[in-house]
Amino acid sequence: MALSRLKKFCIPENSHQVDDCVAEYGDNALILAGGTFIRGLEVRGLLSEVEALIDVHKLGMDGLVSGVGNVRIGAMVTFAALEQLAELHSAAWLAAVRDALACPPLQIRNMATVGGCLAASCPFYDLPTAFLALDGSVTVSGAGAQREIGLADLFVSLFENSLEPGELITELTLPRPPGRSASAFIKLEGTANDLAIVNVAVSISVDAAGVCEEARVVLGGGVGDRVVRSATAETVLKGQQLTHEVIEHAAAAVGQDIEPMADHRATAAYRLAMAGVFTKRALNQALSRLN
Amino acid sequence: MKQLISLEVNGDRHEIAVEPDATLLEVLRDHLGLLGTKQGCDSGGCGCCTVHIGDRAVYSCMKYALSAQHQKITTIEGLGADGKLDAVQDAFVREGAVQCGYCTCGMIMTAKQLLHDDPHPDEDAIRHGIAGNLCRCTGYHKIVEAIRTAARD
Repeated sequence: MALSRLKKFCIPENSHQVDDCVAEYGDNALILAGGTFIRGLEVRGLLSEVEALIDVHKLGMDGLVSGVGNVRIGAMVTFAALEQLAELHSAAWLAAVRDALACPPLQIRNMATVGGCLAASCPFYDLPTAFLALDGSVTVSGAGAQREIGLADLFVSLFENSLEPGELITELTLPRPPGRSASAFIKLEGTANDLAIVNVAVSISVDAAGVCEEARVVLGGGVGDRVVRSATAETVLKGQQLTHEVIEHAAAAVGQDIEPMADHRATAAYRLAMAGVFTKRALNQALSRLN
Repeated sequence: MKQLISLEVNGDRHEIAVEPDATLLEVLRDHLGLLGTKQGCDSGGCGCCTVHIGDRAVYSCMKYALSAQHQKITTIEGLGADGKLDAVQDAFVREGAVQCGYCTCGMIMTAKQLLHDDPHPDEDAIRHGIAGNLCRCTGYHKIVEAIRTAARD
């Protein structure tokens, strides 16, 4: 992958070595995780200044923990490794992640990492949409300090995240939702190995009477310069019984919160129409998973 | 500036001087002469560069050679033994699952992991499993049949 100015390929074994490489190359050092989007960034001319790649595969960050109050996923956990999380296959609240993991082809699942796909800040990806619907946040470390960033604040713009130079994502945390909760993710794509035209992830929690206590509706895939939460749709759902009419109303509302784009995959009008259709399907899917 | 790296490919160890941005695909083809692994889209969309690292299928066009050190790499040339084809290769021949042949090596490497993970996949699982490999000739029917045959045998 031609990085014309690349001088150094670092494979650090500890965080000090990361810091050393960042100190030497500053903004022109790029953290390398799974590597599956390097080419995509390069052909867009976004890596023309990169002088050093920092391959972090020897730093660990590959833990996978079903904790009491959350699920914690190391940044270097590959999609294939994440599929091995036992709870993923039984917990309704995590189902959106399970749905999203079924989308990328085998080779991408074997290479792509959770931290890498979040740092890429690419709204056309599948897993970030699901992770935002599950209220995910990342732990970030750099220069000896650590901080937490909610995913809504991590994604700044297209291919732009809020990390400072030298900071890297070490872990993703998904908090367990209260009560009866379920989630779902659905993607509209042109082929089985393409980026999303539109994707939608929803997470809902209901009380004993079936009234919606929490709802998160998130859309990706060309509906904005980052993954978008639809506050309008969420407001429609909260405090209501999730009837057919309420779900129809919420699905129709997502159009108020997105700015669909036109590209070679779809027109803006098609994306707008499909955003509603797929929101409705995702909500119905999540509803069917409530136990 | 070139760096000296050590790669284990098909059981043989190679010391090679590569540019830091060299991909595993470039090293396999241009340095080691292993031309079974093909260059296609060069951006992880077509699958004809698929090789194994450990027992996992990966796009070698997306893997930096420096990142692939200290791991066991297997290419299509590493399948089979004693002059005999591997069972999946043999099934592709018997079912005639080849037209131009450009996708075949990557398709077989993907099928190997598919059958390793799921020894008896149904048609849906096969089609989903090879979704990361494009074939512009066959329409996939013969390829699916070959993988099914390999699973049966």
